[in-house]
Amino acid sequence: MLKSINVPRHDRVPSLIPDTQASMTRQEIANNNWEEALTFVALQRDRSAYAELFSYFAPRLKAFGMKMFGNEQQALEMVQDTMLNVWKKAALFDASRGCASTWIFTIARNVRFDMLRKKQSRKDDVSADDLWLNGEYPEQEADTDASQWDTQLLMEKLAPHFASLPPAQREVMERVYLQEKSHQEVSDELAIPLGTVKSRIRLALDRLREALDGARN
Amino acid sequence: MAHAIKFHPGMSLLEQHAEGSLSADVALAVAAHIDLCPHCQQLSRDITADLACQLTQQPVKTNTTDWQHMLNDIMAQPQLSKQAAATQAQLSAQAAEPIIVNQREFVVPRALQRLAANHGKWLHLGGIATAKLPAGNDYHVSLLYISKDTEVPQHTHLGLEMTLVLAGKIVDENGEYKAGDLLINSPDDTHTPRTMADEDCLCLSVLSAPLKFKKGLTRLLNPLQQFFY
Ligand SMILES: [Zn+2]
Repeated sequence: MLKSINVPRHDRVPSLIPDTQASMTRQEIANNNWEEALTFVALQRDRSAYAELFSYFAPRLKAFGMKMFGNEQQALEMVQDTMLNVWKKAALFDASRGCASTWIFTIARNVRFDMLRKKQSRKDDVSADDLWLNGEYPEQEADTDASQWDTQLLMEKLAPHFASLPPAQREVMERVYLQEKSHQEVSDELAIPLGTVKSRIRLALDRLREALDGARN
Repeated sequence: MAHAIKFHPGMSLLEQHAEGSLSADVALAVAAHIDLCPHCQQLSRDITADLACQLTQQPVKTNTTDWQHMLNDIMAQPQLSKQAAATQAQLSAQAAEPIIVNQREFVVPRALQRLAANHGKWLHLGGIATAKLPAGNDYHVSLLYISKDTEVPQHTHLGLEMTLVLAGKIVDENGEYKAGDLLINSPDDTHTPRTMADEDCLCLSVLSAPLKFKKGLTRLLNPLQQFFY
């Protein structure tokens, strides 16, 4: 019932960031600990750690901004504003709550949202601070954990639907359920954080459940 | 929350919300649902982590941007202490003022608190009351209060209708909706929501186009149209 509705967007950009293969960057991620770098920036005002973070994230944020704005000037404005926030507010980053890249992504998303709001001169209404909680909701027990799923059921009922998953989620599901690799192995092979492997599995399971039920509810 | 929320936004709505590409007024209803729904909080966390990972894995060109200049500009600015940064982050999170209607007090979800504090005047009609929230041109966003044992006149939608139950309970032909449940109706759906004898209801309503009332008498009541949109 809730699935097929076409909800209008306030911009005209394509939906999710497409999954890309960049073997070069995977190597870099494996070798870089951005959580540690951010902590140095926060605790010791470490300029060289910040410069490293900047040289890694700024071009990637620009590519993201180009996709979202389709315009270099705005993309760069977003990069500057985002990276300035990273510099000024590094003290707020809490490595126990997630990856540095997730923190930086949410800052960029909020900056971009508020840039669009300003452009539409709607100053009195919804801002990024309303839409996204600054920080974390209290931790809940995950109710969609893979452990609740019988592996046999997964193979029989869900595997045929793997093809309908977004590429990034399909890649993880195939490795975990068809090739029977551990989460850690998949994390190493794809050079993505272990937490992201678990996130993608939960998202894929929810999506597959949606496909089976016809709707989330 | 004592009961399980049954009606959630679909995965693609949650994805667009995490990405920040939904229209602001639609995003508001999704954000308020997430505030009330631990299940969607977890999904949103996962989606955000996934999107961030994709961000880092994009191929990047070595390009002509003058990054050094930007970097120097940024590092020329002072960093904030943890306390100062936290204070700035909390400025928007004011203490929740309850919404008062029909001598009842309601605390709305975090996402709505700032906007709900600026709601327009309550307009009453029968057992129903509505108050506008600030919104863009494409949507009409309002709080909708329905007293006990009251029926909302049967209507269809010319556009999208999102209703998030904030407190109490409402029923229609399709089921029963409680706090946190998000109903999305497309232009084809006709429904007659009502409250039960023992419980009133406060909702957030996001409409993309005026409603059209179906029954003879109410159709003549143009003011009703004005009332809902
Ligand atoms: Zn939910």
